Amino acid sequence: MHIFILRRLLQLIPVLFGVTLVAFLIIQLVPGDVAQVMAGEAASEAQLEQMRENLGLNDPLVVQYGRFLGDLIMFDLGESVRTGQPVMDIIAPRFIITVELALWGMVVAVSVGLFFGILSATYRNTIRDYGTMTLAVVGLSMPNFWLGLLLIYWFSIQLGVLPTSGWGTWQQVIMPAITMGTAGAAVIARMTRSSMLEVIDQDYVRTARAKGVSERFVVYKHAFRNALIPVVTVIGLQFGYFLSGAVLTENVFAINGLGRLVVDAISQRDFPVVQGAVIVLAITFVFVNFLVDIAYRVLNKRIDLN
Amino acid sequence: MASNEQTPVLEVKGLQTSFFTPDGEVKAVDGVDFSVNSNETLGIVGESGSGKSITSLSVMRLIQHPGKIVGGTIELSGEDLLKKSKQQFAKYRGNRLSMIFQEPMTSLNPVFTVGSQIAEAVRIHKKLDKKAAWQEAVNMLKLVGIPAPEDRAKRYPHELSGGMRQRVMIAIALSCDPELLIADEPTTALDVTIQAQILELIKELQEKSGMAVLMITHDLGVIAETADKVVVMYAGEVVEQADVKTLFKRPLHPYTQGLMNAIPRHDIDLDELEMIPGTVPTPQNMPSGCRFAERCPYARELCVEKHPELATPSNNVDEGITTGQTRCWIYTDEWDGPNPTKGVATNQ
Amino acid sequence: MTTPLFEAKNLQKYFPVKGGILNRTQAQVKAVDDVSFAINPGETLSIVGESGCGKSTTGRAILRLDDPTDGEILFEGQNLMELSKSDLRQKRKEMQIIFQDPYASLNPRQKVKQILDEAMAIQGVVPKAKRPERIRELMEVVGLRPEQAERYPFQFSGGQRQRIGIARALSVDPKLIVCDEAVSALDVSTQAQVLNLLKKLQKDLDLTYLFISHDLGVVRHISDRVIVMYLGKIVEIADKKDLFDSPRHPYTRALLSAIPIPDPSKTRERIVLQGDVPSPMNPPSGCRFHTRCPFATDICKTEEPELRSTTFMNETHKAACHHIEKIAETEKTSIV
Repeated sequence: MHIFILRRLLQLIPVLFGVTLVAFLIIQLVPGDVAQVMAGEAASEAQLEQMRENLGLNDPLVVQYGRFLGDLIMFDLGESVRTGQPVMDIIAPRFIITVELALWGMVVAVSVGLFFGILSATYRNTIRDYGTMTLAVVGLSMPNFWLGLLLIYWFSIQLGVLPTSGWGTWQQVIMPAITMGTAGAAVIARMTRSSMLEVIDQDYVRTARAKGVSERFVVYKHAFRNALIPVVTVIGLQFGYFLSGAVLTENVFAINGLGRLVVDAISQRDFPVVQGAVIVLAITFVFVNFLVDIAYRVLNKRIDLN
Repeated sequence: MASNEQTPVLEVKGLQTSFFTPDGEVKAVDGVDFSVNSNETLGIVGESGSGKSITSLSVMRLIQHPGKIVGGTIELSGEDLLKKSKQQFAKYRGNRLSMIFQEPMTSLNPVFTVGSQIAEAVRIHKKLDKKAAWQEAVNMLKLVGIPAPEDRAKRYPHELSGGMRQRVMIAIALSCDPELLIADEPTTALDVTIQAQILELIKELQEKSGMAVLMITHDLGVIAETADKVVVMYAGEVVEQADVKTLFKRPLHPYTQGLMNAIPRHDIDLDELEMIPGTVPTPQNMPSGCRFAERCPYARELCVEKHPELATPSNNVDEGITTGQTRCWIYTDEWDGPNPTKGVATNQ
Repeated sequence: MTTPLFEAKNLQKYFPVKGGILNRTQAQVKAVDDVSFAINPGETLSIVGESGCGKSTTGRAILRLDDPTDGEILFEGQNLMELSKSDLRQKRKEMQIIFQDPYASLNPRQKVKQILDEAMAIQGVVPKAKRPERIRELMEVVGLRPEQAERYPFQFSGGQRQRIGIARALSVDPKLIVCDEAVSALDVSTQAQVLNLLKKLQKDLDLTYLFISHDLGVVRHISDRVIVMYLGKIVEIADKKDLFDSPRHPYTRALLSAIPIPDPSKTRERIVLQGDVPSPMNPPSGCRFHTRCPFATDICKTEEPELRSTTFMNETHKAACHHIEKIAETEKTSIV
């Protein structure tokens, strides 16, 4: 196990390297001149040149990338070209909000998804199964923002029980979490169902029944523990999607998360902020995948041996 | 017989189990009777499609949708198991009657230690606390001959060999001292040297506990070595039933005879194996007469038209020979003429 | 002396085991370790042994389905190890294989006639125009009706599918057929049908079989000579009669005594081997059987026994054991 974790960590190095390189290059390729943005439309050519020189934009790309990496290791993502604030300081609070949002979305997705997945599998080919799976298709097909608007319409405008926007109180959490979690719940429910159906016919489930284990324990202990193995992977992937997909939900509910920050930064051509956000998201994504891999190992005793 | 007074540990009467498929009802087991006493091993032998495994799963009430037990009674020491509610029966399963399966590789849950899988059965039925159940699991592992049981109990199934896993399965099955052990092809997936170990172990444990054993197998060699009584199944029915010596000395049913002469033997040379032509009839096209008629070298019109009953022979049996029961027209009064199977050389 | 049709010399097949932080090869599974034997034309040579003994790996290695790690494989005197891929493919029409699970080895989307046609097309042995005729012929040879060639594999029973597997192997007129557990998945009554068919075909078509099986009953029925393998090594090789009537290696003896006999009136002493087969990744030193052998002494732990014959054995009968004489001696006294 330790060897496995160590090996996985070593494998992260080239991945992280690649991620930063791509983030760095994309910003280089985007049309628009940072110096122009910073100096303003009225700046003269000499001023611009001075600005480029100060920013190091005239150095070869390799040198720029090296500097960029060096800064990154010190958690320095540069400064915003708009406000001059360190990008790290701008991103950190926003990132926490987005992670919170994604986590709440996960709570909804995992609990609802697993519940309906198991329900569907245990009542295979009955009305409950069909009903659940139809709901799952609806949940999967409904665009995020549309669900968000519907929720606002019902709960905030019609019933007036929940606030339309903002973040912090528990009332403000409910609708965004549902909005975020619904599609994920549908994916997880479908995965759980098929995985449970596969497991429930296994010999060891029969053995559990033959021991006299009650049907409830057969399903929740013997079958579910095994069915969970592939589901964990899907859950991990969902979390990644949630982080990157938070932007829509954040916009609908006017939550000041990282997604909104990025959108604003793009429209303002605040490249260091965009770049920083992309890197933070990508590293989180890679790290979540790493955790999923380890969880997979812990759950699946069989591959631990190799 | 003196044993008439004894209530059998297991008595199955008229068992019918069907599968309800979109194409209609498939009668996998169609009116099967047998009984086993304590300290006795009943062998059920048959090829794939004979219904022997469905019979054993029916006794454990482990038939899954779309299968269903549609008729008959299954009595454990006089109690009808089919009348028990699911909750009531769960208290019996793994406790008073238990089962081991063919595939030791897949029959244990891969995500739990073997010790916890044994302890689970103990905890359910003996109501022991966690620690006591674990100790009992270790004791069971020792009983089934697993070296270093304290250490092995903490292992996961994939860390053990096939033979070891089957020992663990036996430990689970016997952890609550069952009256009846059903062994469904317990050694088919194992190598012969390991098979010998496992069969020996089952015999040894039976001697200790006096449990009844139902040994389901396709291997007549295993039957000859382990069983006291034998039931031969074909196409969902019992076609012959006898104590083991009688059956091997004088098999009555042409199917049993064919089966015995079809086995390549490692202890004697055979010029040519007897072939049973054709294949087992599918449940969709089950003949209305004798189910073996289309493969039987002696079949007559009578056999094709009328379905024979399982009965003690009343015709065509040599004087002074003890026989079991068979389901064949040759041994009834309706059969005109001599026994065509007479002189059929069995391997003995 | 006849020249052998096929010869394996010092055949080795190792599988690497990877692991560690850098996923390097850490050990070798010695599945087949220095195995030599010859098959004469027209005979059936069997390899028996328990799972993990290397019998199937040997079968695959000699056809170069898995390339051997080392050794020579000679077919009619030609070293197959030296052939290029395309030359090898040419040679494959001489050497066919039949697998245990006929269903897994038949394309479910092809009709039987397409399966047979394709086999002939690949080898180019039968011109296209003549193939329908040949397919009819093959179906009859293996005991199926010619019109059944229009069906798909799933429409057949297990025994019939194995017949199709045999027909496919026969379609290219091979000289040698490797039967890898070819009847193991079949019921007794169908197994007998297929075994009898294989015997008949051998007589009619002058075939040579390498028959790989774990079932000693089947092996006794079909073979002329038998090889017993244990943990990647040959422990005994003999004519059928010698092997079954007077086995010399303690493993062979244990193996034979472990098989249940379908005759309750026969009781005999059973040698129950203790424990499991050790891992081929780390086989025991000296004689690989010494950890389970009731006769093992110190020499068995250190020195690897050669395959050898002694005065009271036929010269074709060889066993790899230090104590052949001693075991024969104890047997004599125990009978008296």
